[in-house]
Amino acid sequence: MYNNFVIFPLELFWRKTQCFLSLAVFGRAIHAIARISDEFWFDPVEKGSVLPVFRCVNVLERNVEKCSISTNPSEHHITFQLLCRHGVVKTYNLTFQECDPLQAVFAKHMCPNILKVHSRLLADVMIHFPTSQEEITLSVTPMKVCFKSYTEEDTDFSRTMLTEIQLSPEEFDYFQVGVDSEVTFCLKELRGLLAFSEAASVPVSIHFDRCGKPIAFSIEDLLLEASFILATLCEAEKEAASPEPACCPRPWDSSKTGMDKSDQTSMDGASNADTAASRKPQQKGNTPSRNSAKPPSALAKQEVENIPRGTERDVPGRAGAAMAKAAGGEATEAPYEKFHSLFFGAISYKEKEAIGDTFQSLVTASDTEESGALQSSQVL
Amino acid sequence: MRFRAKIVDLACLNHFSRIINTIAKLAKTCILRLTVCKLYFILSDKVANGGASMWCELSQGNFFDEFQMEGVAAEHNEIYLELVPENLSRALKTAQNAKAVKIKLTNKHCPCLSVAVELPSLSSSSRIVTHDIPVGVIPRRMWNDFREPSVPDFDVSIYLPALKTMKSVVERMKNLSNFIVIEANLSGEMNLKIETDLVSVTTHFKDLGNPPWASEDGCQSSAQGRDLESMAEACIDIKKLQQLLAGQQVNPTKALCSKFNSSACEFQLNIVRKRIVHFILLHEEVSLQYFIPAVA
Repeated sequence: MYNNFVIFPLELFWRKTQCFLSLAVFGRAIHAIARISDEFWFDPVEKGSVLPVFRCVNVLERNVEKCSISTNPSEHHITFQLLCRHGVVKTYNLTFQECDPLQAVFAKHMCPNILKVHSRLLADVMIHFPTSQEEITLSVTPMKVCFKSYTEEDTDFSRTMLTEIQLSPEEFDYFQVGVDSEVTFCLKELRGLLAFSEAASVPVSIHFDRCGKPIAFSIEDLLLEASFILATLCEAEKEAASPEPACCPRPWDSSKTGMDKSDQTSMDGASNADTAASRKPQQKGNTPSRNSAKPPSALAKQEVENIPRGTERDVPGRAGAAMAKAAGGEATEAPYEKFHSLFFGAISYKEKEAIGDTFQSLVTASDTEESGALQSSQVL
Repeated sequence: MRFRAKIVDLACLNHFSRIINTIAKLAKTCILRLTVCKLYFILSDKVANGGASMWCELSQGNFFDEFQMEGVAAEHNEIYLELVPENLSRALKTAQNAKAVKIKLTNKHCPCLSVAVELPSLSSSSRIVTHDIPVGVIPRRMWNDFREPSVPDFDVSIYLPALKTMKSVVERMKNLSNFIVIEANLSGEMNLKIETDLVSVTTHFKDLGNPPWASEDGCQSSAQGRDLESMAEACIDIKKLQQLLAGQQVNPTKALCSKFNSSACEFQLNIVRKRIVHFILLHEEVSLQYFIPAVA
């Protein structure tokens, strides 16, 4: 096993130097991820250099017979080869850069609220919101489900059109609401997953808790599993101090601002005041979308690991204050640190038994233009 | 002030949506005037609008199954609201298979038109989508700004050719020039002309027919004194013309809605030489007038 993780699973390349995968699905996955970020775990160096390879999914489906992905770690080269009809072979060579992985785990089954619905319904709901709508709020009680445009205190209502959709629990394939909650998350980026799941025509599961805790949208199918985990806005006024922070600090320094905030909150009992001040979500550019796509033929099904509380977290660069805060049970620090990740796992028909593998989902936080911290979620 | 209305018939809803889409293409912001019998969409000829103005009139009975309004005062039983028609268009866009659409004037965070769309769903209860469109209430002292424009004393009045044809001609001309000259005469001939340093292009239409206009003394002889061949022309901003034509949705020839039997429509054009061009689109259920001033 390699010591340095490159950004996609090396196990794959330890066992095989090449892998083949279902193009349409992979191409669509790339499109979904491209909606979130210019950076993609496949190519952190050049923005958007992978998307063009898979740009036109329909054309791909018609002309390409196979796609092979191989890597040459010593030369930092990844090669996509599209083997098309009539003997045409298109080869794309892209460079990559190694980076340190972060571990991100989200225990879906610990969420009190679980909704499962066909992707078609979600698409029908989201179509009512304008494409420019950044965030929406999902509000649930055991009696109803409501998606509405997110508004904050300084929203100019005289200029903003607000939309709200009410659904009955009966519309859901599975409906479990353990706790009434109202969570706000980023719609824009979710649309990528919605488009992907609609194309794959699979149901979408939504796992969430109270506001401040992440919400996960996942789809699962025989060959693949994908999850989008989004941070939710933490309303300082509503937030009950959660025993663990929803987000964990990013391990390197560009998060100085974030560190300051968390230092303050850890030391200052009135954490609400500080968190309220830093409430404005650091949206744009603050989207570390990650993905650890595993082509179907190679790997075992990725189980989302349930790491018990108290496990040491991978936060090497972080100040001790943050850790102390975590242990001390303060409310979350800067309330809307965004975290997104897409885990794209797939089942290999050959290796189903390898579930015990400590295969780790590799998540890397990208650099951001903003000084705000990026967090990786380690909600348990 | 109160207003509530409901549309249940799908064909009426679609027709209403089409009209709103047309309005949205012509004006970023406009005035919605509500009276007991009619709705008006008004764009006044302020400089901000590039001098173009619009007057669109609908009979509410042709669209709504329920319509109740109470104006600002008993003797002024009308409501004037300023809104962004694009918002209304968006709210209605996804209501294509709605069971019902209700529109209400509300005041949540600010005065709004709340559009509640009841959609069919897989379960026993419907899905309800509510859009709150912010509106500005226009005070009565400003109502005079939005009176119906009078038909100008035109030089020529002519029926337009098929809008589709005219639209494709104008769209291509738009690539070459910012201004277009429209000229027409009383013999049913109309020309669209553009002229640049490199090229001049003219498209000729004939046999269009001229609408009859009764003159003040009730007879139609006023036209006879004039030279039937002479062209009246006006040079206008081509983008405005293109927006007007682009906003016209294709109308099916058969009945659109049970409330009326035909979709007969007339499109005519009045030209005041070098001053203004006045388009009139008349449907049985709705009339739209659009004024484009001539550029010097």
